Amino acid sequence: MPDTAESIELLTDREHARKVYRAMLEARLLETKLSSLYKAGKIVGGVYLGKGQEAVSASLGSCLIPGTDVFAPLIRDQGGRTAFGEEVIDCARTYLGSAEGPMRGRDGNIHRGRPERGMLAMISHLGAAVSVVAGWLLARRLQGRLEGMVGATCIGDGATSTGAFHEGLNAAAVERLPLVVVVANNQFAYSTPNDRQFACEDLLDRAKGYGVRGYSVDGTDFLACLRVMREAVAEARRGGGPQMVVARLLRLTGHGEHDDASYVPESLKCGALGQDCMAVAAGQLVEEGYAEEAELAEWQEEIGEKVQAALAAAQRDPKPDPWREQWEAFSMPQTGDQNA
Amino acid sequence: MSITYVDAILEAQDHLLREDPRVFLYGQDISRFGGAFKATKGLAEAYPGRVLDSPISEDAMIGMAIGAALAGMRPVVEMQFADFSSIAFNQIVNHAGTHFYRTGMPVPITVRLPSGGTPGSGPFHSQSMEAIYSHYPGLVVVTPATVSDAYHMLLQSVALDDPVVYCEHKFLYRWLKASSIDREAPPLGQARITRPGKHATIVAYSAMVHEAVRAADRLKVESGWEIEVVDLRTVKPLDMDTVLASVARTGRLLALGEAFPWGGVTAEVVARVASEGFHLLDAPPKRFNSRDTPVPYHPNLWAAHRPTPETICLAMRELLAF
Amino acid sequence: MPTVPILMPQLGESIAEATVIRIDITPGGVVEADQEVIEVETQKATMGVTTLCRGTVKEILAEEGKTYAVGSTLGFLEVTEDEAMRTGVETLEAAAESRSAEQPIASKGEENLHFAVDDDSYEELQPVVEPSVRGLPVPAGVKGAHYISPRMRARMDEMGLREADISAVVGTGAGGRVTVEDLEKFLDYISKWPSSHASPMRLAVADAMRRSWTRPLATVSRPVLLDRVLEHRRQQDPKPGLTLYVLRAFAKALAEDPASAGFLIGERIVHPRAFDIGVAVQVEDGVVVPVLRNVDTMTLAQLTDEYANMVDRARRRRLREDDTKGGIATVTNFGTFGLTHGTPIPLPNETLILGLAAGVKKPVWSAQVEAFVPATEAELIVTFDHRVVDGGGAGLLLGRIADLLQSPAGL
Repeated sequence: MPDTAESIELLTDREHARKVYRAMLEARLLETKLSSLYKAGKIVGGVYLGKGQEAVSASLGSCLIPGTDVFAPLIRDQGGRTAFGEEVIDCARTYLGSAEGPMRGRDGNIHRGRPERGMLAMISHLGAAVSVVAGWLLARRLQGRLEGMVGATCIGDGATSTGAFHEGLNAAAVERLPLVVVVANNQFAYSTPNDRQFACEDLLDRAKGYGVRGYSVDGTDFLACLRVMREAVAEARRGGGPQMVVARLLRLTGHGEHDDASYVPESLKCGALGQDCMAVAAGQLVEEGYAEEAELAEWQEEIGEKVQAALAAAQRDPKPDPWREQWEAFSMPQTGDQNA
Repeated sequence: MSITYVDAILEAQDHLLREDPRVFLYGQDISRFGGAFKATKGLAEAYPGRVLDSPISEDAMIGMAIGAALAGMRPVVEMQFADFSSIAFNQIVNHAGTHFYRTGMPVPITVRLPSGGTPGSGPFHSQSMEAIYSHYPGLVVVTPATVSDAYHMLLQSVALDDPVVYCEHKFLYRWLKASSIDREAPPLGQARITRPGKHATIVAYSAMVHEAVRAADRLKVESGWEIEVVDLRTVKPLDMDTVLASVARTGRLLALGEAFPWGGVTAEVVARVASEGFHLLDAPPKRFNSRDTPVPYHPNLWAAHRPTPETICLAMRELLAF
Repeated sequence: MPTVPILMPQLGESIAEATVIRIDITPGGVVEADQEVIEVETQKATMGVTTLCRGTVKEILAEEGKTYAVGSTLGFLEVTEDEAMRTGVETLEAAAESRSAEQPIASKGEENLHFAVDDDSYEELQPVVEPSVRGLPVPAGVKGAHYISPRMRARMDEMGLREADISAVVGTGAGGRVTVEDLEKFLDYISKWPSSHASPMRLAVADAMRRSWTRPLATVSRPVLLDRVLEHRRQQDPKPGLTLYVLRAFAKALAEDPASAGFLIGERIVHPRAFDIGVAVQVEDGVVVPVLRNVDTMTLAQLTDEYANMVDRARRRRLREDDTKGGIATVTNFGTFGLTHGTPIPLPNETLILGLAAGVKKPVWSAQVEAFVPATEAELIVTFDHRVVDGGGAGLLLGRIADLLQSPAGL
């Protein structure tokens, strides 16, 4: 059941927090299973987890309105995808190479989307989605339908070094489009640490450079993430132009599941950035009286079963058949190369 | 009263903006300034808010167009020079080109590339990029050679649901004139016999069609050779039916292009004719392209860098003597 | 109970194999779903192989310290039907069933088809490139009437024409080459002449002669006296044909010195396995060549019957396929048509053909009576593949045959 802008605004803090936590939990349980399927040889290619980034991602996704807004998640955004309404089966099918689902074996893992529903399918080239989301918003302005909508995309600290990021954010700023760019600064781009990635003091400085309003948030702090994302998205929706949120956190896993992240120093893992946002969130929910301990355990059980069922179903799906595949890159067959 | 090639492009965009509310134009200096080549002159005033200046961000320009197309628009992007599309290469080939196959949702963008050399424009304002884009799946690449094609093929490109790279030749902008625009044009993907003949076929596209016709005229006057000239019009898809039918009539092929010689459209044409039409050939199929150096600045060097009627005649005589 | 394999996962985009460091399970042990059971190491990282579902360890194939290709089976679990259903895991039994039911493409290890690595195949595949042809296989740059372009070849094939068929066409193309237009003009001209279909026999002879004619053929001849043969023949019953005497002499001469019957292919001479020699028999609208076997060891009397039988069957078109196979040379007696000279063409698979022309009465000087005496003389002719035999060798061969014919009783 799609939410509406109003319903987001009308949600109480309690309802919002519970909703986001459930999305985070689904993401964590789903990704844990995916990792395990990968390590059992069932998934080819790679598995890329958002472990430690669920609070940032899901709180952003929860502020977006399915059916109205446009969202371009990146590789560590299962939380955001789930909060935005992606069904578990889409993820399961894409990872497990099913002939069904949005990508039908033509693309895999996190390279999936439902563009017709406003969720873009990322390409591997980082920063490329910034301008695409901006273009979608530009179209809505030209169509006279921009009022009350936003577009959002997530990137990491590494992607802020790409030309595409700069070009896209600048172009969006020039057009004053309601674009929210969320930078999850998880300290490492694959294995490259921040000090080899950028020389400015804070990535937030970049927002200033483009005339974009910036927000800084502790990405492990669940309630802070909720508050900041709500504010940034609302500001964009009100016509405040592009917003950029920089979340500080630590990637609690390798770049992908093939990477043991042995390059991450212990001091970081044991420090404040190393705390798990899931644990923080659970604690905050209970502390604020938003949920009971027992309730959290029930959710774990309930969502775990839902995830397991989707993965089991996806494994029973037919695999793509090269003989039946439509080997056609054009949508209009008459433009296809007859002699190719 | 006559209409130039660039006028035809302007007219086509005017028509598109007038007839299709989904169309908008995006590019550098195209709004009130009217574009570096005046291909959008007056359109910003006629269609307020639909002819937008972009920052000098080719990657973002195409990214914006892709997003807008996914949201239901039909953007036409003007690259100021085809050469600069290298900055947008990733968005064109990896984002627009793969999108339909990956997601089932096509990306109806049209990217206008002012292509090819003119005297004095040098290494970075003279390139022909059609081969690069044709190499990638999912992109339609058109190369109009006539005033009417410049007009109609731009309308057809925008009508297509798939991404189109529209290569317009800068040398033809003002040099090429027609008394009027034809009422109709063949569909995209169909080549045309520009000049019928029986002794050899020259397959060309864009400005080289005109150089081929001049060379053919000369060979006719000097030696009585009758050379058929095929204008590919669209380089991807490639109309091999027309090419093979022509080679079947003549038995000899020269594939002619202004782009760099390594690989490319002419190589593709020769490869296809050699493998699909070997039995049609009286002589080894031949290619003729520009030289394998950057495009030089000075007009003397530029004229010797690209195929000219004189050098095309030399190549043809070699082909005809085999 | 259904079985589920424990597989070596991919563990990285460029990883082809991983080394097992530690195995944390033993057969009979119970494992939970998603439990890390085997620790493996790649060049990039160390990580755990997990189980797909809850079950009992049935068998462990992997050994610590050994390296396994991605997709290898490291062991097996036994699981319950319920657990397999809950987790969606494909059991070996289900995989086997679905394979036999359909899936024509995926043969072995379907799940991991794209990483299947054959350990030994790389070393064995030491590619050695050897030329398959000697010299340049195409007439590159060759100009002239004999060059036929792919286009011309295609048109000729379409019309069933061979190079020999267009010998009459004057070329107007580059370097005098015959073009398709020249050919069409010629065919148009020819179409105004009366014509009829060539019989299959005619076409077969034409084809054999055309193929033979691709070689450098040379012809030499010398006279031979036939009186002694004719005298010997008169005393026989039934009388062997004159051809048979020549056939025997030819076989004996070849048996003494088989080199000239060799057949050149590439850089090798193929030698006769037996002295099986054919005889050209004129039939309606063509020539057939039945082969007589082991002519060097047969007597004239033995050959007489077989020869008569063969000729009879040839004329009635009753030759079996084998009857015309395997000859090493041919004898043709065109003297029966009154011809006193000829240049026969050997079969395409033979190097030699021996011709006998018509005998003519001539005055021949006799040293015995010191006077010219009448004698029957005929030309004995051999056409040979000059790649194999030279004029001298051919002359010696003819001389030996002429000598043998002077002692017919020995034939």
